[in-house]
Amino acid sequence: MVILERIQTFFEIAGSMISEPVSLAILFGSVLLGILFGAMPGLTSTLGVALLTALTYSMDTPMAMICLLSIYVGGTYGGSYASILINIPGTAAAAATALDGYPLAQKGEGGRAIGLTTTASAIGTIVSMLFVVSISPLISRFALEFTSFEFFLLAFFGILISGTLTAPDLVIKGWIAGFLGLFLACIGRDQLQFFPRFTFGITELESGIEVVPVLIGAFGIPQIIDVLRAKSQMPKAEKLQRIIPEFGTVLRNIPAIIRSALIGVGIGAVPGIGEDIAGWVSYGTAKNTSKHPETFGTGELKGVIASETANNACVGGAMIPLLNLGIPGSPPAAMLLGALMLHGVTPGPMMSFEHPTFILEVAAILLLASMAMWITGMILAKQVVKVLNIPTPLFMPIIGILCIIGSYSLGLNIFNLYLMLPVGIICYFLTNMGYPIAPLVIGVILGPMADENLRRALMVSQGSFMPVFQRPVSLILFIIIVLTVLSQFGWYKRIVEHLKGKLFNNSKPA
Amino acid sequence: MIDKDKLRKADVFSGTLIVLLGFVIISQALKMPMKDSYAGVQNVWYVSPALFPMLVGAMITLLGLLLVRTAIKSVGKAGIQQVFDYFRSPDFNEFLKAHTTIRFYGIVLTLFVFVFLLVPRIDFFLGAILFLLIFFFMFYCGTDEDLPRLILMIVTGTFVLGAYILTGLAGKIDEIIPFSADYLVLLFIVILVAYYFKKLKTNPELFKKFKLSLLIGFLAPFTIGVIFKYFLLVPMPFEGVVVYLLDAVWYAEIWS
Repeated sequence: MVILERIQTFFEIAGSMISEPVSLAILFGSVLLGILFGAMPGLTSTLGVALLTALTYSMDTPMAMICLLSIYVGGTYGGSYASILINIPGTAAAAATALDGYPLAQKGEGGRAIGLTTTASAIGTIVSMLFVVSISPLISRFALEFTSFEFFLLAFFGILISGTLTAPDLVIKGWIAGFLGLFLACIGRDQLQFFPRFTFGITELESGIEVVPVLIGAFGIPQIIDVLRAKSQMPKAEKLQRIIPEFGTVLRNIPAIIRSALIGVGIGAVPGIGEDIAGWVSYGTAKNTSKHPETFGTGELKGVIASETANNACVGGAMIPLLNLGIPGSPPAAMLLGALMLHGVTPGPMMSFEHPTFILEVAAILLLASMAMWITGMILAKQVVKVLNIPTPLFMPIIGILCIIGSYSLGLNIFNLYLMLPVGIICYFLTNMGYPIAPLVIGVILGPMADENLRRALMVSQGSFMPVFQRPVSLILFIIIVLTVLSQFGWYKRIVEHLKGKLFNNSKPA
Repeated sequence: MIDKDKLRKADVFSGTLIVLLGFVIISQALKMPMKDSYAGVQNVWYVSPALFPMLVGAMITLLGLLLVRTAIKSVGKAGIQQVFDYFRSPDFNEFLKAHTTIRFYGIVLTLFVFVFLLVPRIDFFLGAILFLLIFFFMFYCGTDEDLPRLILMIVTGTFVLGAYILTGLAGKIDEIIPFSADYLVLLFIVILVAYYFKKLKTNPELFKKFKLSLLIGFLAPFTIGVIFKYFLLVPMPFEGVVVYLLDAVWYAEIWS
């Protein structure tokens, strides 16, 4: 009965969104904007969501969510255009797409590749939406049993796993980035005793650092500096032919699409890991399970489908921990969390009580955004690729202006700019030295949660850490954290290898 | 990202900085109330506001030390010596004068001037036009050879404008001519445009880019500014002469 009621509510919400011309216009407009953002190398869906957060500040929450989720979905998909047509990934999420997408375009099959990726991306988003609807109530109910220790460990785990999986160089650097984010979150008056920490007498810091300007700085400024400094010329885009995909090809690839979507949802649900990793893992899986792995890299449709389905499925996956635990599954989801908090919505286990239909609203938006993305992709792809001809030195400074006015407009505070720019410059250096930015951002977001819950938990236990070992979820999280840390040490790997060897040898028949 | 070998050498230094940051965090956290009373509340260690920063500081220090250890193990003492030698070598001077490095100076300088000098004190529209034109002339229609001269112009302009505002001269002149600093920025824009017009008019390809730069340089701030100011009702960080004129047009009686 409850399930039927939820399905009915879901369709009522979706129906009311379609029937309102303003929502529909915002849906299509934001998807198109997202595609344009994703298509232009140098601009990312995270930056798109960040900049639009400022524009949606005055909207009501459902409208703002339509806008932000649509740009997220569109931006993730839009990256494939540049990957396929000029061999430069529009976003990091579409990096794996270039491996087979560009050879396809060189063979004159760019239109076919884009048609298939559009369809696969839409299916990926819809599959992930199904998971948001079906898994969320379970996780939410499970999370209601969490105490402060679990939330502290969960936040800690989020930062560690994000640092581990997103570090382009050493894993230690990913962890350092995460703890730097936690440090930034410590700035301001603490939540329990209102004591000023690291404010150095600056009154603007007393209320803590504003998350959204820091995120805009962390993602926007390094991008602007990198693109302008490189002064790279964009190659000429390959020509597009027929875009409407052959449905026979789509049907033949349905198992691959579903598998990639599941990979995307799974990776999206892990805190702090983005669409790029989903794309690579899915591409690798498709290659490893293929009967003809040698065709990958030479224009294999399955390769393009695998990465594009997974990165879009990651969008819904990232929503699952965000909505149910308050932990963002990806950098754009971190941005969404910031936007939600600005609108007075605090994601977490209490979400289903405070905003009973919110998760269904998100699911409905994902469904509509995927459909809008497919329609826009099919109709406007040939026009959208023209943005690839816009020189980057012309649009990057405009993005700079948007970053600045956007940061200022959230709270009408010039101090936000004084914070945003230095954070951006520091993040530029960190990025260049192999420190990932995602864990830093996750740290900034999860810092208050970790701090508050650690102290609250210790208050309840009178300073004892024993509950960590007495509660099953805490214990599991603790063990995972310890194993994640240990797995980075050579001596641990050697011991594991040794044990594996022993077990393997012992199990051999004499 | 820089290549692995250079990265390991850089890690020695970034790791050291991170260890130092960790120490600073811990030393600051030690100044926070631990067991003593604060705001009438008797503290215990586990509710102290210092607990979490101490944990974070300790982790940052530990990870920083691990990074330094890993880096030193990888490059050895000779590698570190190579870094110090590099700083004294002509290669380092070459790096400082390389086009990509000069571009970096230009970008960061322009961003800082815009955020710290123009946005809080100059009409947003004028500041944004100057900001865009500088970037377009730097990277779109200008060449790398012009870049040092453009950077010199920015530095000179910053000193002139900074001195004009910070010495209080602007305040005095504003009593006679309101928003006088805005007119100074307008003058900078005119000088910049005139300089590049003269420089690029003989090169048809670059001159075409110059005209496009001018068009976008003026149109974009007006589009963005008008959306934020009049549709989203966000007051501009500083409302000067252009906002004053736009207000007069937007709220003119003739529209009602």
